[in-house]
Amino acid sequence: MVYVDEIDVDQEGIAEMTLDENSIAQVARPGTSLRQATAKKHEGPSPAVRPVTQSGRPLTGFVRPGTQSGRPGTMEQAIRTPRTAHTARPITSASGRYIRLGTASMLTNPDGPFINLSRLNLSKYAHSPNLAKTLFEYIFHHENDVKNALELAALATENAQFKDWWWKVQLGKCYYRLGLFREAENQFKSALAHQDMVDTFLYLGKVYARMDQPLTALSMYKQGLDRFPKEVTLLCAVARIHEEMNNLTSATEYYKELLKQDNTHVEAIACIGSNHFYTDQPEIALRFYRRLLQMGVYNCELFNNLGLCCFYAQQYDMILTSFERALSLAENDEEVAEVWYNLGHVAVGIGDLNLAYQCFKLTLANNNDHAEAYNNLAVLEMRKNHVEQARALLQTSAALAPHMYEPHFNFACLSDKIGDLQSSYVAAQKSEAAFPDHVETQQLLEKLRQHFAMI
Amino acid sequence: MPEVKSMFREVLPKQGQLCVEDVPTMVMCKPKLLPLKSVTLTKLEKMQRDAQETIKQQEMVQSSQDETQP
Repeated sequence: MVYVDEIDVDQEGIAEMTLDENSIAQVARPGTSLRQATAKKHEGPSPAVRPVTQSGRPLTGFVRPGTQSGRPGTMEQAIRTPRTAHTARPITSASGRYIRLGTASMLTNPDGPFINLSRLNLSKYAHSPNLAKTLFEYIFHHENDVKNALELAALATENAQFKDWWWKVQLGKCYYRLGLFREAENQFKSALAHQDMVDTFLYLGKVYARMDQPLTALSMYKQGLDRFPKEVTLLCAVARIHEEMNNLTSATEYYKELLKQDNTHVEAIACIGSNHFYTDQPEIALRFYRRLLQMGVYNCELFNNLGLCCFYAQQYDMILTSFERALSLAENDEEVAEVWYNLGHVAVGIGDLNLAYQCFKLTLANNNDHAEAYNNLAVLEMRKNHVEQARALLQTSAALAPHMYEPHFNFACLSDKIGDLQSSYVAAQKSEAAFPDHVETQQLLEKLRQHFAMI
Repeated sequence: MPEVKSMFREVLPKQGQLCVEDVPTMVMCKPKLLPLKSVTLTKLEKMQRDAQETIKQQEMVQSSQDETQP
């Protein structure tokens, strides 16, 4: 059985993201929205050092059920998830995990449901507060029948003369599930007027994040932190918002603050670790990941990260064993592909280009949509002067991952070299769109413009 | 002062690499640290996988029954 924290579980479906009408400004000002492609301005490591997800955000150190990938710009991007093409999002969150969580336990019961909801007299139960609360939790969490739960909560809150904060929070939860965010906001605010609770602040923040108002969410969390100083979950929520807004420096600061309160917080350790890795301090990242290992985290991702950190921190004795362990712990083909991809980098690092070539090929054998591996294979092919192969690989890579600048830039270089200036210019422009501050792209564009002006 | 200056003479190398031109080279994608998964997510994914397995097995059984019946 899985207990999913109600605050955590929220996976935005494709429909919610692309047909979202809750956000106030469609074209928001910079720094006030979670949805815009934030590739324009970079706080912390640039995409030249740190890989980005398809929404232009740096790769995070930790995935949660809710914040798996930021918001994609188009339908096509939404269907494709950043790490893999296989675990696509649910169409709406109503068809996603909520449903599965609700029905999973019912399916295993041969005699049908434990309580037949349609035959309950809700107003009768609403009069006995103790029973009503338990019943509500059963309906909401187990049966996942939000409509009935809402009805019960409405009756019960009326019965409590609108003075019980608990029922208001439950009403807010129901409204949130139904997608009525303004109503949910009102309920939570009204609950806060009766009683300050950490959960209520978190729910409110979640509502604001869903309405694409990260700054309001942050101020809400700040209010919460005033009432409950150094509360771990609130600090974590603040850090997540900063991270989603691409503000990694302050995210890391909040994660550090969080670690002072709770030094076994996996999310904080992982995020700080990956931040150190991508700011050129693999030794320190290694210490964070080692700490995770000591705490008992034992999975493919961790060993892969340990292997990479060991390699870049020049602790060569541990690299291959770490990667071997990662390969043996991998649970699906995509994870195997990622490990081989990183092993390819180790091979490039020690100059064994044949091994690197094989590693990247193995990546593609395990995950045919691995855009980075296509790009790196193209670079290796170019070293052997196989222009046509390199070209094809780069085109595949660019089609799979239009958000990365590398394939576009490489394609521009290659086309420039063989004299196809028009394609080179087009590709360079795409590269500039993906990574505006890339100096070499700028130089190439400048060169091409001069050339065209001469003609 | 002029005496001190004369102590250092300009040295111009006559052979070997005299200057390095910055040639744009192709760039590789960077190594990827894998994001760790929260315990909840791992469990949810496991549930999803198990459910898929069960459905697959049920379908297998069904199809084998369909084959034997007619």
